[in-house]
Amino acid sequence: MAATEPVAIIGWSVSPMERRTDKTEAQLLLDVITDATAHAGISRADVDFTCAGSCDYVAGQAFSFVQNINAIGAWPPKRDSHVEMDGAWALYEAWVRLQLGDLDVALATGSGRSSTADPATIYPMEMDPYYLAPLGADAVSMAALQARVLLDAGLVTERQMATIAARTRRDAVANPHAQVSGEFDVDALLAGEYVRDPLRRHDLPPITDGACAVVLARGEKARELTDRPVWITGFAHVAEAHQPGVRDLRVSTSAARAAKAAGVAEGGPIDVAELQSAFTHEEPVLTAALGLGPEVAINPSGGPLAANPIMATGLVRIAEAARQIRDAGKRRALAHATSGPCLQQNLVCVLEEGR
Amino acid sequence: MTTYVESTVRFPYKRSLGPVIGQFMTGLTEARLLGIRADDRVIVPPVEWDPETGEQLAHEFVEVGPAGTVRSWCWVEKPTTQHPLDRPFAFALIELDGASTGFLHAVDAGRREAMTTGMRVVPRWRTERRGHITDVEAFVPGDQPLPVERAEPAGEPVTMMTYDAEVHYLTPVTENETRVGQAAAEGRFLGLRCPRCARLYVGGKNDCPICAVALTPQDEVDLPQRGTITNYVIITPVQYPGQTETEPFARVHVLLDGVDVVLMFQPVVDLANDDVRPGVRVSAVWTPPDGTGRRALAGWRPTGEPDVDDPALVNRIH
Ligand SMILES: [Zn+2]
Repeated sequence: MAATEPVAIIGWSVSPMERRTDKTEAQLLLDVITDATAHAGISRADVDFTCAGSCDYVAGQAFSFVQNINAIGAWPPKRDSHVEMDGAWALYEAWVRLQLGDLDVALATGSGRSSTADPATIYPMEMDPYYLAPLGADAVSMAALQARVLLDAGLVTERQMATIAARTRRDAVANPHAQVSGEFDVDALLAGEYVRDPLRRHDLPPITDGACAVVLARGEKARELTDRPVWITGFAHVAEAHQPGVRDLRVSTSAARAAKAAGVAEGGPIDVAELQSAFTHEEPVLTAALGLGPEVAINPSGGPLAANPIMATGLVRIAEAARQIRDAGKRRALAHATSGPCLQQNLVCVLEEGR
Repeated sequence: MTTYVESTVRFPYKRSLGPVIGQFMTGLTEARLLGIRADDRVIVPPVEWDPETGEQLAHEFVEVGPAGTVRSWCWVEKPTTQHPLDRPFAFALIELDGASTGFLHAVDAGRREAMTTGMRVVPRWRTERRGHITDVEAFVPGDQPLPVERAEPAGEPVTMMTYDAEVHYLTPVTENETRVGQAAAEGRFLGLRCPRCARLYVGGKNDCPICAVALTPQDEVDLPQRGTITNYVIITPVQYPGQTETEPFARVHVLLDGVDVVLMFQPVVDLANDDVRPGVRVSAVWTPPDGTGRRALAGWRPTGEPDVDDPALVNRIH
């Protein structure tokens, strides 16, 4: 869907990424909202609409997002919404909301303390409740099943997967938010034990606590607030069937459709992409589906393999892609987020520089 | 300093199955695996809508398997408590004979080296089957169906299923919350006054929700032990898991004198359910010190003062 009203990213903040933070989710949000609004040069009072992405199962509490509203400063009462999705979908809703034309500034957040419980026991609760959840179908197992399909089809090799891990960890050295970074030898990685055959430790993301906030502004308001708006020029998300067994796991049909709907192939080359490829083998599936060639820099932040704050990982991709335009001189960037087993649902956001 | 509290949350769900999943689950009680026809494909396990087109599928069920071919697998070396087996096993996508799709289930292969893509597997059925995906305990390597006990037709169709998951949480308890808890153990209420708007909060709040600024121990204030009931509810307990009350009981909101927010859902002492009402003046009742010298709030007892006559009081719910 083409934007009817241009909307720009004007500020963002990414929290420290830690294996276990001593802060609550609301405290993480308090900090990133304070920082993101400061980055945008506004105050909380200037925000007309907020939308948060978080998950009650992760928090271990019903309506946990109600407590998180404390971080917004919602007095006088603010228009607020919530998605039980990654914050990237919260940003999508905020973008749609600004299209109505009556509001100018919106804030999207994503937050999660993955360390609150074992993610392997949380994830199945979000799966199909009849056929998948009672088997304890966890994220790593689901990903491993897709990896096996790709390996058997010869579409990826274990060496290629280890090479992706080594590259993202190397890139992550420059990212102060990275949790996993450094120089790693591919052969040494391949000598490691399988965690869930065919996946080794380096094929998996770390368990991360963290949050992210992104500020959006519409049209003239964006130009008024900043000299360097990062415009959203394409935005779409597409879902496919939930049961992995009915899908062709060699490809990502929904990612390809989202890329087409967001106009990725139109309007010039993509310089850089931040993908929510939380498992190494997902990167080649996504670059193929999104039409990204070898000339496109993938995950210069280190991506989710460097830090994976559940419910915020996708929104961090959008913030990092915006940073590539604002601070690294890139012209056109793609941010991607995913949700559901084996890349079930995919979101594509195209960002561009300009006045 | 932040500490952590451990808790276990149970999620005991009871779900209705509908005509398609119900048929599949009923089949399981008969040790039969059913798929649903979608054009030239057979989808297993059956779904109500065509995953390609979204069209509702006719209820044309096809028996598949019991043998099938492993199309993908992964090896689970350390199972979680939610996994179907408590020893190393494989998750696999199994294309049952006659099916067009992969059926996710466990393969009890004993060792990783026994697993290959393309291997043949058959289900190992439980003796007691109730219409649940785990009626198949696991698939095992092989091509020949295993003998099945009690494979007679189902009496009643299966219409419901249970799912009872448990998750262990480790939740941070912030410094403010800890200090309020410590004060309560001494029979004191600790409040926090916002340094910006001067609102006075109870309950170890970490930030002022109006100003969105953090509250710190420097903002602490000792609170009075008296207040007024602003609102109440009489709860007739339903015996859901974890409910320990058996008789109707009251929970009240208490607005401490001079404080800006209520203490929510407080128990009462020496106040009959019929006498609970907004405006009643109450004071805190603490338990005697336990073996470690710690007290706890037992509830709120009427002081005998005249009621506060303020019709707006009932609106104080936060
Ligand atoms: Zn305040």
